[in-house]
Amino acid sequence: MPPSPSAAAVGRALKAFARVVGADHVFADQADREAYSDHFALDEARHAPAAAIAPATVEEVRAIVRLANEHKVPLWPISRGKNFGYGGAAPVLKGSIVLDLSRMKKIEVDAANGTVLVEPGVGFFDLYDHLQANKIPLWLSVPGNSWGSVAGNALDRGVGYTSYGDHNARICGLEAVLPDGDLVRTGMGAMAGSPTWQLYKPGFGPSWDTMFAQSNFGIVTKLGLWLMPEPESMLGFDFEFDKPDDLGWTVDVLAGLRREGIIQQSPSIGNWLRSAAVLTTRQEWTTKPGALDESVVTAIRKRFNIGWWSVQTRFYGPIEITEATAKVVRKAFDGHTPLSIKPARWVRGDKPEGSPMTGVPVTFPLANANWHGGRGGHVGYSPVLPARGDLAMAQFRRTYARYNEFGMDYHASFAMGERSLTNVNQVLFDKDNAEMVGRVDRFFRALVADAAAERYGEYRTHIEYMDLVAATYDFNDHALLRLNQRVKDALDPNGIIAPGKSGIWPARYREQKA
Amino acid sequence: MRRLLVPIALLVAASALAQPYTPPPPGLKAPPPSTASALAGGEALFVEKCGMCHRRMGMGTVLLARRGTPDTAELEKRKDLTADYIVQAARSGIGNMPRISRGEVNDVQLGAIASYLVHGAVR
Repeated sequence: MPPSPSAAAVGRALKAFARVVGADHVFADQADREAYSDHFALDEARHAPAAAIAPATVEEVRAIVRLANEHKVPLWPISRGKNFGYGGAAPVLKGSIVLDLSRMKKIEVDAANGTVLVEPGVGFFDLYDHLQANKIPLWLSVPGNSWGSVAGNALDRGVGYTSYGDHNARICGLEAVLPDGDLVRTGMGAMAGSPTWQLYKPGFGPSWDTMFAQSNFGIVTKLGLWLMPEPESMLGFDFEFDKPDDLGWTVDVLAGLRREGIIQQSPSIGNWLRSAAVLTTRQEWTTKPGALDESVVTAIRKRFNIGWWSVQTRFYGPIEITEATAKVVRKAFDGHTPLSIKPARWVRGDKPEGSPMTGVPVTFPLANANWHGGRGGHVGYSPVLPARGDLAMAQFRRTYARYNEFGMDYHASFAMGERSLTNVNQVLFDKDNAEMVGRVDRFFRALVADAAAERYGEYRTHIEYMDLVAATYDFNDHALLRLNQRVKDALDPNGIIAPGKSGIWPARYREQKA
Repeated sequence: MRRLLVPIALLVAASALAQPYTPPPPGLKAPPPSTASALAGGEALFVEKCGMCHRRMGMGTVLLARRGTPDTAELEKRKDLTADYIVQAARSGIGNMPRISRGEVNDVQLGAIASYLVHGAVR
């Protein structure tokens, strides 16, 4: 890791920043540094920031960026700082100054066109509240833990459960402050006052929206997003499966339905620990170290009446279409024997369904971080593989063996994309168990190496592992990383925006790393 | 104002989920979260800043319910909280509750939230 900026440089910069945002919005004592660290990390101190500052407007952001260039101090922009499992609010480079955008909370909904323009501080609960209070018949797509920012989640390629669940794909138009303080709008927003900024994605000429996803090429200050008009109905099925081997054929059935567009959301096939970790702690089941044995797995399944795997599918739209879809989906499972199939049905006029399947934000899934009791931590490992049953089974067996080898409890899901399958593993650990913390680090590195051997890469990773994961993208001796570095150096010669994000280090830090 | 909270028993009865890409508890039928817009003062701030975890279906409510007695899971119903304790819990974090930064909830706002939890809403 390159050295942190000097305390003197940070001190001078903070004085200058205070003149922009006001001293009340500069947070630089020890409690502040801890508050902006990653509460769920293996080792918080490795990524502790020096301070945080919270601007309220895009003009303040631009002024801060110009001053950061002058003082050559690194900024780590966050929207709401709730990227739990991937670093929370904390920077890759220790001693960076967190640029907290959570005060920027403007919401502009275009109800007729089903779009919204949000600032980074707008959380899923804020937007939900806004739609409810104004009786706007649009639905959100929310992630499993919906504490975070709508814009931040979409930029980090977060996912939800409705047919708008690929959040990044629903972005339409951005406003971003570039590393020199310039301000740009992408897509049709490049034309001042255009009424189609949130309606037509590409714009004219090269399209830059994706440049700001999981990157450090700018600071997004406004994000356009398409929202789903409230459908007339939502139908679906909850499937339970008895055996680990049922994963293979289930993936093949669902992959076909996804490719054909019969199912338009992302069903997620998850194992028994999902229920147990949210609703109980490990010590209720066993005090034995090592991965949970079969008797515990059986007891968990019995208590929650669940399969080895579970998956929910949902379809949205006019009732004639969702009922027809339900028939097609049910028929696709003919000849297979799930443990149980339970229909789900919500029709406009029914009581609110109240779950993320209808776009209602929740946070209780994060209770699973407490699985080991005490101060729980978690870290996400999420390789992308082809949507093929045999490959999913091989991934499952390989990874399951690693969990057993490292004595960790298996906690995974396989989420169906349109053409791919993302194997999301949420590794749960006890932060106060130093031996386990060390073991999780070795476990994680082994998992990344296993995936890379199959030529699978992670779709997203924790700040601690960004270099590790970036290094696995190795075509032509890491040509993509070189391209990212060239773009970074051209846009950000002083390397002030999020050094190390996604493995992209500015030139002056690369020299210090070497 | 809608008084929150799906009974924890309902959550427990539902086979639940987890994290990115994971589904909601099958069978969960509940009203959506109450919203902050119609409220004022410490109560509105509590709903806006804390309600996502400390009201219905919230992480904090679920954790407190399974740790102690379900009756004390809901902060708004508790009688044993002091303002100092609330401020300390928010700023230092407890167990799985992350520390709440001054950028997210400033000292004046936190004071109003603590006052609401200790004394109730000012009507």
